[in-house]
Amino acid sequence: MKMIRAFIRPEKEQEVVQALEGAGFPSLTKMPVFGRGKQKGLQVGPIHYDELPKMLVMMVVNDTEVDRVVKLMIEKSKTGFVGDGKIFISPVEVAYTVRTGEAVL
Amino acid sequence: MKEITAVIRRDKLQETKKVLEDLGFPSVSIQSVDGRGKQRGMVCNNDLDPDLPDSFCTPAKLKPTPATYALVHALPTVALFVPKRMLTMVVPDDLVTMIVKSIISVNKTGKTGDGKIFVSPVEGAIRVRTSETGGEAIA
Repeated sequence: MKMIRAFIRPEKEQEVVQALEGAGFPSLTKMPVFGRGKQKGLQVGPIHYDELPKMLVMMVVNDTEVDRVVKLMIEKSKTGFVGDGKIFISPVEVAYTVRTGEAVL
Repeated sequence: MKEITAVIRRDKLQETKKVLEDLGFPSVSIQSVDGRGKQRGMVCNNDLDPDLPDSFCTPAKLKPTPATYALVHALPTVALFVPKRMLTMVVPDDLVTMIVKSIISVNKTGKTGDGKIFVSPVEGAIRVRTSETGGEAIA
């Protein structure tokens, strides 16, 4: 299993969620976060924004499905401008369902 | 070292914290998140989460015809995302199963929406105050 953490534009969140749901991945956790990339934020005229609001979408999927989910996320959240976000993938050893106590995803 | 990420019900947070404290693991990061599982959210106005804020509830999707317009007010609203609490803690390898078992025993209600627990490997840990690394940092 792998955990996918995607930092995406907040306005693209709903589109990504709907696309994932359509592809059979309805389970996810999301949280609003603030962050910046290598551009050190955003300069709009005289105003400099150090940290920008992003939406962190977190989901755990089976190894075989990672590529599909990531491809879908990129496809839906891409605008081509800086600030589209990053996707990180990390290993997960066990996933427990609290209701049943079983170690299945 | 392993990282335990547990997404649990909001009203079980205090109990979970108490149990973890009794086990000797008071160190935990807590975050408010919105989540959903394979049920794709839940129906509002039921007994699963009585304190669910109205802002999470949206009317059921129906095609706007005169008949359904009247119907939509009678139908229960749905919450596409449910507010949850996410606990993150880094613990030694040999205690992972014990901690997970106790989190499950506190949070288990038998109804959908009890949450998930993920265990993932952590390569290193550093205590900022003393620069201790590895097992000492999380002890």
